Amino acid sequence: MKRYYQQIVDYRELLWNLVGTELKLRYRNSILGFLWTILNPLFFLLILAVVFSRIIKFQMDNYMIFLFSGLTSWLMIQQTVLIATGSIVNNQGLIKKVYVPKILFPLSNVLARFIDHLVLTVILFGFMLYFHMDFTWNLLLIPAVVLMLFFFSLGLSLIASVSYIRIRDVQNILSIAFQAFFYLTPILYPLEVLPASFQKVFLLNPFYYFIQSFRFPIYSAQFPPGRIFWVALGLTVIVFFTGLGIFYKREKYFVFNLS
Amino acid sequence: MNKAMDNTSIQVSSVGIKFFLRSGPGKEDDGRRKSTKSWFSRRKKKEFWALRDISFEARKGEIFGIVGSNGAGKSTLLKVIAGIYPATQGEIRAEGKIAPLIELGAAFNPELTGAENIYLTGSIYRIPRRVIRENFGEIVSFSGLRKFINIPVKNYSSGMFIRLAFSIIIFFQPDIVLIDEVFSVGDEVFQKKSFEKILSFQRQGATILLVTHDANLITQICDRALILSQGQMSFLGPAEEAVAHYHQLIKSAEGLEADSRLPQQPPPPAEAKRWGTKQVEIKSVDFVDEEGRAKKNFISGGYFEAQISYISRLGREERPIFGVSMSTIYKLLIYGPNTLEAGLPRKIPPEGVVRFIVPHLPLLEGDYLFSAAVYDESLQTAYDHHEMMHHFRVIPSGSREIGSVRIRSEWKIEHA
Repeated sequence: MKRYYQQIVDYRELLWNLVGTELKLRYRNSILGFLWTILNPLFFLLILAVVFSRIIKFQMDNYMIFLFSGLTSWLMIQQTVLIATGSIVNNQGLIKKVYVPKILFPLSNVLARFIDHLVLTVILFGFMLYFHMDFTWNLLLIPAVVLMLFFFSLGLSLIASVSYIRIRDVQNILSIAFQAFFYLTPILYPLEVLPASFQKVFLLNPFYYFIQSFRFPIYSAQFPPGRIFWVALGLTVIVFFTGLGIFYKREKYFVFNLS
Repeated sequence: MNKAMDNTSIQVSSVGIKFFLRSGPGKEDDGRRKSTKSWFSRRKKKEFWALRDISFEARKGEIFGIVGSNGAGKSTLLKVIAGIYPATQGEIRAEGKIAPLIELGAAFNPELTGAENIYLTGSIYRIPRRVIRENFGEIVSFSGLRKFINIPVKNYSSGMFIRLAFSIIIFFQPDIVLIDEVFSVGDEVFQKKSFEKILSFQRQGATILLVTHDANLITQICDRALILSQGQMSFLGPAEEAVAHYHQLIKSAEGLEADSRLPQQPPPPAEAKRWGTKQVEIKSVDFVDEEGRAKKNFISGGYFEAQISYISRLGREERPIFGVSMSTIYKLLIYGPNTLEAGLPRKIPPEGVVRFIVPHLPLLEGDYLFSAAVYDESLQTAYDHHEMMHHFRVIPSGSREIGSVRIRSEWKIEHA
C-alpha cells in the first residue's frame, strides 16, 4: 500500500500523461471529439427511455432521472472495468522494455474513464434541474459514492487485468457477464416490480448496492435506506484490497508472462 | 562504512534470474481433447537460468564494460539492473537516477507527435516536466528533427526514432547510464555527438555500464569489464585483461566446434545479386580454416580460405576466369583479385573447387561481404556472378589499430 502510494507520487506526471494521452487519442481525427463521450451514453439513455416509457409504457415519475442515475453509476463500473482489463497486456511493449510502476496502467485507464463519467454526472445534475427534482443535503453523499465506485472499479480492474495476462478469455467472459448483469441489476426498472421471492435473490447482486447508493440521493432525495450504503462501502473495501493484493503478488512476474 | 564503499554506485551481489520457457499448446495435444483439469493446470515449464551468480561493483565515474557473445546474458543483466526483470536470486543496489539507454524509443506512443512524446518519455524517466520544458528547444535541436516534431512518430524512420529517444534521455543528469549497443544505430555524426555527451556524464561522476560485443570499444573506453559466458561470470577485471580473456574464449569456442554453435548468419544484404549465363555455375562458396573446416569467423592475421565449388558446361578448350572480391558492409570494395591477373587462365575440369587462399588475412575486426564470380576469358560474359552474396567476420584480436585493412608499415622517430 505504502509502496503504491510512493510510486504514484513519484510517477504522478507520467500518470497524468497517460490519462491525457488516452483522452487525447480517443477522439483524435473525429469532428465532435470529446463530445462523443457524452453523446454516446446520452443517446443510449434516450433510446432506453423511449423504449421503456413510450413503447412498454412503464409507469414511473421522472423515469428519465431514474434511468439516468442508474445508467451513470452502472457505466462507471462496466466501461471502466472492460477498458482496464487490457491495461497490462496493451502496454506490454513498455513493460518489457522500461521500468515503470505497473499499477499506473490500470490506474490511468480507470482515471480516464472516471473523468468521462464525472462529466456525465454534471449533466445528470442539469437534467435534475430541468425536471425540477429536489436538491437536498443528501446529494452531498454523491461524491462519497463516486469515490466508492472508483475504488470498487479499480479493484475489479486490477483483478481483471492480472487474470487477462494469462487467460485471454477473461475479456469476453467479462463483457458477457456485464451484459447479463445490466439486465439483472435494477437499472432499467425498480426492484419493487419483481415478485418478492425474486427480490431476495437480487439482493445477492453486488452491483445493486452501488446503483442504489448513487440513485437514492438523486432520485428519491434521501439517504439510501437500510444497509445499502454500508454494504456498498464494505464491498468496496474488500474488492479494492483484494485487487491490490493480487496485483502486488503478481506484478513482478508480468514481464515473464506477457507474450 | 569505509570510503571505498561510499564510492560504489552499483552493487550486484550473486544475482541470478530464472526464466520459465512455457511450451505453448504443442503438437502433442493434437487430436486429444483437453480435459478441464489440464486446461486450468499449468502447462509444462522448462526452467532456464539466464544469469547465475553474478557479482560485481561499479564505482562512481567508472566506465564498466559487459562483454559476451550473443545470448550470454548481457542485455538481461542490464534489464535486471534497470528493474525491468526481477532477480530470482541475489540483490542489486543502484544509487541515484538511472538512464537506461536500452531499447530506445520503447516508451514512445506511435500515435503521438514527437513533441508530445518528448513529454511522455520524460515522465517515464521521471524527468520533471519543468526540466523538459526548459530544455525543449535544446532537445529538439540535438535530435535534429525540428521539422518533424509535430507529426506522429509512427511516421518517423527508425533512425529518427532513436535520435529523438536518445536526445530526451540525455537531458537529465543521470547517476547511472546503462548502454546496450545503442551506438550501432543512427548516423555517424549523431553517434559521435551522443558518445561525447555520455562521456561528459562520466566526467561529472556518473557510472556507465556498457554492454557490447565489440572488444575494441572496451579497450578504448572502459576501465574494467565483466565477461559473461552462457549466463555466468567468466572474467572480471581490468579491461585489457578482460579482452584478452574474451578472445581466448571465442577462440576456444571456435576451434572446438567450428561454426556449429553460432547462430545463423545475418541475412544477405539487399545488395546481394546474382546473374550470369550459368554455363559455369557456382554451386557454393565456403569459408574454411587451415584444416578445411567450415567457419565464418576469422582471426585478423590468420589463415583464410574461400572455396568456390562449380560445375562447368563449357567445352574443353574454354578458359574461364574466376574472381573474388571483399567489401566492407558499407559496400566499400577492399580488394578484388582474379585468376587472369594471377596468370592462371586455364582449362578447368567439368566439376571442381577453386580455392582462394590468404595465408595472413590483413583485415581488421568487422563484418565483410564476399563476392565470387566466373567470367569468360575476355571478361565480357558473366557465367555466374555472386555479388555480395556471402559474408564472413573477422573477430577482434585486441589490437588497437583501427580501420579495415592492415597496411604493412613501420614507424620511425628521428631528430629534426
